[in-house]
Amino acid sequence: MADIQWREDQPIYIQIRERLVSMILDGRLSPGDALPSVRSIATDLQVNPLTAMKAYQSLVDEAVVEKRRGRGMFCLEGAREKLLNMERQRFLEQEWPHIRQRIENLGLNVKELMETGKGDKDQ
Amino acid sequence: MSAVVSAHNLTKRYGGFTAVDHINFSVRPGRIVGLVGPNGAGKSTILKAILGLVSFSGELQVLGMRPDRNRARLMQEVSYISDVAALPDWIRVNQLLQLMQDIHPRFDIARTRNFLDATDIGMKQRVSTLSKGMKTQLHLALVMGVDARLLVLDEPTLGLDLIYRKKFYQQLLNEYFDEEKTILVTTHQIEEIEHILSDVLFINHGHLVLDMPVEEIASHYVQLRVAPENLQAARQLQPIHESRQLNESVMIFENLARERLQALGQARTPNLANLFVAKMEGDVHA
Repeated sequence: MADIQWREDQPIYIQIRERLVSMILDGRLSPGDALPSVRSIATDLQVNPLTAMKAYQSLVDEAVVEKRRGRGMFCLEGAREKLLNMERQRFLEQEWPHIRQRIENLGLNVKELMETGKGDKDQ
Repeated sequence: MSAVVSAHNLTKRYGGFTAVDHINFSVRPGRIVGLVGPNGAGKSTILKAILGLVSFSGELQVLGMRPDRNRARLMQEVSYISDVAALPDWIRVNQLLQLMQDIHPRFDIARTRNFLDATDIGMKQRVSTLSKGMKTQLHLALVMGVDARLLVLDEPTLGLDLIYRKKFYQQLLNEYFDEEKTILVTTHQIEEIEHILSDVLFINHGHLVLDMPVEEIASHYVQLRVAPENLQAARQLQPIHESRQLNESVMIFENLARERLQALGQARTPNLANLFVAKMEGDVHA
């Protein structure tokens, strides 16, 4: 019974969606696999079933998963590529400007930063 | 779908004291509704009226019936767990199950047994030997057996330890609740049920101060951590509540565009506990 820590900056259905997305991105769920049921998500994460449903609906809308009548939610062909594209897009539009700003504020050199990172890894 | 509970000008007076004052609300099927308010706000009176335990004025329909006139019929489809453990101490678990089967036309003893099998409660145990948490589980087991359309919970986890509290809500979500069931729950521990609720009713001094689906809160309320230089500008927008946190002001605004507020500080949606405090302290009836 793990304790669930929700962040306050995002609606919970978005955070549930993020968890499902990361399961698909890192390959724990492959095309054709069944996703956890709405009931089990609601129970495990102690959220309203409508919240869990909303997380799924957003993935259905983007044709990443599909609902099979009476059998639950399934991961669709090409889901990983689709999500990867969307996540890259989101990173570039929403996260990168902040990271870039932070790098500039701290007076860091991007080129050195990347190379030092590599340097550390190689040692 | 028609409402499970609908109240119109629901009023309850005890002598000269008005516990519930012309309240209007409705509860849709498939929802988990939290009725939240300080002590003496009128929560228990509303629950009692719904259960047909007190008379009232105004209109109140529960599953299409007037609870004060159709109580026996209504109780076939409504279950109730109160904060006061109401089971007789001397009765054994198996006797209690038998009793329920004898008196309740819809009670399914097998469902209750199934539920109890997954707990530490023994069939031959007397109620007096059960811990508080186990008594609550036993109540829940009886509720499972009745499979009622409306479940009313009055401070169901009061006095339970953390493990039993979590287990209680997990079992409720996993084994009882579905889109045809409705739960009406009161609690002081609003953090605990915040995420399982679909709607909230805040009540204070017999009046409703908030009646809203949880998912709509974000479009009506903003909590703003105000940057010091913007304090005056923010106050001019008339927050419904302001508190100080480590030298910073945290304000809650009602029905103001989020974009407008974001210019003045860090904006987010208040959690239910903070919104509750804001609405209670800003209540004009107080």
